[in-house]
Amino acid sequence: MEKILVSSRGVNLYYDSARVLKDITFDVMEKQVTALIGPSGCGKSSFLRCINRMNDFIPSARVEGEILVGGSNIYAGGVDVIALRRNVGMVFQKPNPFPMSIYDNVAYGPRLHGVKQKDRLDETVKQSLVGAALWDEVKDKLKTPGTGLSGGQQQRLCIARAIATEPEILLMDEPTSALDPMATARIEELVRELKKRYTVVIVTHNMQQAARISDRTAFFLMGDLVEYDATPKMFTSPEDKRTEDYITGRFG
Amino acid sequence: MEPVSTRKQLEADLTELKRMVLRLGKMAEESISKAIWALKNQDAELARMVLAKDDDIDDLAEALDNACMHFAARFQPLGEDLRAVTSIMHMAVDLERIGDYGGNIAKVAAELADKELIKPLIDIPRMLDVLSAMMSKALAAFDTNNAEMAKEVFAMDDMMDDLEKQIMRELLLLMMERPQRIEQATQLLNVARTLERGGDHVTNVAERVIYILTGKTVKASAFRRPRPAALNGRKEHEER
Repeated sequence: MEKILVSSRGVNLYYDSARVLKDITFDVMEKQVTALIGPSGCGKSSFLRCINRMNDFIPSARVEGEILVGGSNIYAGGVDVIALRRNVGMVFQKPNPFPMSIYDNVAYGPRLHGVKQKDRLDETVKQSLVGAALWDEVKDKLKTPGTGLSGGQQQRLCIARAIATEPEILLMDEPTSALDPMATARIEELVRELKKRYTVVIVTHNMQQAARISDRTAFFLMGDLVEYDATPKMFTSPEDKRTEDYITGRFG
Repeated sequence: MEPVSTRKQLEADLTELKRMVLRLGKMAEESISKAIWALKNQDAELARMVLAKDDDIDDLAEALDNACMHFAARFQPLGEDLRAVTSIMHMAVDLERIGDYGGNIAKVAAELADKELIKPLIDIPRMLDVLSAMMSKALAAFDTNNAEMAKEVFAMDDMMDDLEKQIMRELLLLMMERPQRIEQATQLLNVARTLERGGDHVTNVAERVIYILTGKTVKASAFRRPRPAALNGRKEHEER
């Protein structure tokens, strides 16, 4: 049974007077991978950042419309943004471990949210690293700096950090664009594994990657959501000529 | 020197695949045309030439298949490009099969070359004319990216069915009159059946052209005249 987890209703995003997202309406299904694709500047990353209110950090940004997560509008007054971001984890383009040990990187979120007991933290760190397919590689050096890991390991560390607060949703903004093909393959494998427990929304420039790992794909162009459909359909027979032109490399 | 963009390179390679399909189509059409010509004119030499060409058709079909795989590996095509390359692989099978049919008919032609024909061949060459026209149309539609033209192929297949039935009725009468004719009449019936199958393969090619261009799967039957249930007996006959 497919269930809607995130629902975007007429979302417009402005940076000052520039309208970077135009009336975006679509649903993200629970425990699926949804890929957002489109040329640079199309609004896909901006949309991703709307889902955990990251655009709040940009003073000139203004959001209209509603984004419902589990039925509640995250842009309604009185929403606990900290709780929202705990529920919506994020992984960025470049791995960005904090300048602290592997253990502390993963324990950072739970500690921030008030977990203090050592054994509970130990368990969370272990489970998160297992979940991010990194445990076996780092279990004997948890006290060493996270920045000492390889790029692919660092990215998996960031995924472990993101899932340590047990979010429902994982946002990934081009998580493999700085990684080599082997490390990319591991992350893709991991994403397929992660969707058993989390709902993943991923921005990617690599269309083959979107085709490989996502269940649904949304194509953005100049702030519009042009087409949103099941991934196999999007990459074989899209309805919109603009989607066809983009995925075949005629522009973008 | 202007750098060649990936899109341009992809298009150049796709054009080459397309050219190979058209060449394969031409060879298959020639094979079946010449085979019928050899049958009608009892030309054993021409029949042997058709058979000798069979390997060339197989080789080209295989080369096309390989070229498609290289194309897919190189460009990892999506959308229309993906539909094109997978469809071309299917088309290669259909066209190669039509080429094989030319060989099958040529064998009959070689056998009958020195025998007296039980009747002058009229409707079999007519079936060939329709088949050739279907092939030309399907391939031209592919060449010029014309989905509407491809749809015109479907209705033509009705003519093939009509002619095949007419031939069957006529040959049945001839057989009933004189059982000695059964051997040759059966061979001619097989030729008509083979041509009718050829029509089905051309129909597949036309369906693929539409799929490449529109992304929609069409059924040829939607464009053909409705068939009463009684006529479905033909299908049963085929399965037997």
